[in-house]
Amino acid sequence: MNRKFLFVFAALMALGALAVPGSAQDEVNISHYFSGELNQDNLNTIMSGFTEATGIAVIDSPIGHEDFKTGILAGVAAGVLPDVFSYWAGARVQFVVDAGALQPIDELWDAAGLDDVVPAGVADAATIYNGSRYFIPFNIHYAAFFYNPKVWAEASIDVPDTWDGLLEAFAAFEAQGIDPIALGSQFRWPGQFWFDYLLLRTAGPDYRAALMAGDASYEDAEVVRAMEMWKELIDAGYFVDGANAYDWVDAADQVANGDAAVTLMGTWIGGYWKGQDLVPGEDYDFFDFPEIDMVPQAGVGPIDGWVMTTTANAESAGALLEYLINDVDTQTLWNTSYGSLSPNVNVDPMVYDVVAAKAGASIANAAVYAFNYDLATTPPVAECGLDMFSAFMDDSSDIAGTLATTQACAVEGFAQ
Amino acid sequence: MNLRLKTSQRLWTIAFLALPLSVYVIVVIGPLLASAYLSLTDYTFSAIASPEFAGLKNYERLVNSKKIHTAFQNTVAWMMAALVFPTGGGLFLALMLHERIRFANFFKSMFYMPITISLVVIAQAWSWIYKPDWGLLNTLGVSLGIIDREVFWLSERGLALASIIFAWCWQQVGLSMVIFLAGLTSLPKDLLEAAQIDGANYRQSLVKVVIPLLLPSSVVVIALAIINSLRSFDLVWALNRGQGESATLAVEMYEETYFSLNAGYGSAISIALFALAAIIIAIYFSRIRYLEHLYD
Repeated sequence: MNRKFLFVFAALMALGALAVPGSAQDEVNISHYFSGELNQDNLNTIMSGFTEATGIAVIDSPIGHEDFKTGILAGVAAGVLPDVFSYWAGARVQFVVDAGALQPIDELWDAAGLDDVVPAGVADAATIYNGSRYFIPFNIHYAAFFYNPKVWAEASIDVPDTWDGLLEAFAAFEAQGIDPIALGSQFRWPGQFWFDYLLLRTAGPDYRAALMAGDASYEDAEVVRAMEMWKELIDAGYFVDGANAYDWVDAADQVANGDAAVTLMGTWIGGYWKGQDLVPGEDYDFFDFPEIDMVPQAGVGPIDGWVMTTTANAESAGALLEYLINDVDTQTLWNTSYGSLSPNVNVDPMVYDVVAAKAGASIANAAVYAFNYDLATTPPVAECGLDMFSAFMDDSSDIAGTLATTQACAVEGFAQ
Repeated sequence: MNLRLKTSQRLWTIAFLALPLSVYVIVVIGPLLASAYLSLTDYTFSAIASPEFAGLKNYERLVNSKKIHTAFQNTVAWMMAALVFPTGGGLFLALMLHERIRFANFFKSMFYMPITISLVVIAQAWSWIYKPDWGLLNTLGVSLGIIDREVFWLSERGLALASIIFAWCWQQVGLSMVIFLAGLTSLPKDLLEAAQIDGANYRQSLVKVVIPLLLPSSVVVIALAIINSLRSFDLVWALNRGQGESATLAVEMYEETYFSLNAGYGSAISIALFALAAIIIAIYFSRIRYLEHLYD
């Protein structure tokens, strides 16, 4: 008896460590990257509102934006994921769909009548993967040149609408002792918008799509040209010194403080600036990346949203997904505070501030809406490119060598 | 009767060892074996494909990788710095504070405090110190006329690694100090008195008596410094993510595994790091055995 007891005790103690709690029907485990300056307070309000409306508890585990990228992929590999998590539409969702980690939401989509809520263009581009719907859009962002109008007015420099005009403006700011371009590429990704826009404006969206899919090479003349244009700006001294020493918030501060003229960033910068009590249209504004060659003019940005994992309780997790897109108050609160645009057509356009409304017009006028680099190509290949952008800001002397390294890395990445 | 008692003892031993051994196997031995296996595969950390045997391909890539060469050099540089600065600084502080100086306990607490703080918090504090535009170091440097432009402490090649190692040494010196202080407290007083009676001055006592008798403490301090330096990841990651060619082997392993999703290759780096640590630990234990023999 004693022996049996001891063995059973030992076995139970050993197995106890492996016990994993399951999700109950009246709760949803979520994880997301909307932490800190990325609007966490308002998301907390939204989740509280959902619990109040449905009685379903939300167990929230936010992760820092950069750590989230690795955390979710590690979770996919280990088969340990929350019921619902935020993600970026495009190649990243495709990657986890292909990994078999997500639950399709076609039934939920139809039952909630989301075809009448989400514009067809957004729905087609962001929600469908391998023929099924997996993604609920939450907000739409747009990348452009953000600036402080007061600084430009004080410098008596007009906002440009051509590439030559932009270069003249940069030269004028440089002459006045103001850094023309703020870039905070410490965490690599902010540099991607330069690559995206230079390539899109010179080689066009079709070529860029081919490159993102692995059907073109980083050593092609099109990419070389984009990188040469980037190098010209670096060599002219237009970027702030030591861009890799700053993050995007530092760059935002440099523009707001008048230390730099522009930063190429997404509309979430408006959310940050609003949090600093800056007034849209007065303290900050944006202009589109100008046309360079006669190619279809693309807009760049991410669509953030939510996905439901295969292990989630479809009823409670689905209720949350539906609430996040369908509830107009939720959509209004989130997007007006985050500087983004709502994918819900029922949100009153008048709720947006002037800068967000202008971003909506820019997206509407763009010939193509393209996801930014690290969402447009697969995660392993995105790493190759992000490494390249960061290294390029450090040393832009050897474009051919840099691109050859990236191409070799991309070939390996696509093989995955 | 005697035999029954032994069996019972054995069962109790098994029962009480079962949990810690199971946990050890699950969290240490299992992952280690899994890593060793994965290092011989092309596993891409994707749930889509299962690992395929790739032989020594990952190790071949590792040996030929420029990034890994840099990371290895950085790790070795870190280890060398760990041998010199926290050890030397800790010994110096311990010798100073062991003397009967005023507020000795206050200073001991102050110097030890950094070791009680999380590395992430330390990284945050040092990132403010190193900030190019409004950081303490640049602000002081400019106001004192030492520098005339912003220094990019965490992103310039050559400087980034030194800056991170300095922040790490600042934290580690308190740990060395405490171990040396413990060693100094347990020194046999009669030997020191005998040296004084024989006419030895402070320097002679220090060099001929104190430091040799602190050898056991030194072995612990040096071993800890080396092992902690080999694990150098958190501070690099939190401060600059390997910018300015400051990545260590641990950082490369993390990046390859979790960002580029090359789990097979990342595992090979981790096994190489493990081998390096194992060699150091083997030297450490042989040194301990030698000292035990010496003091016997």
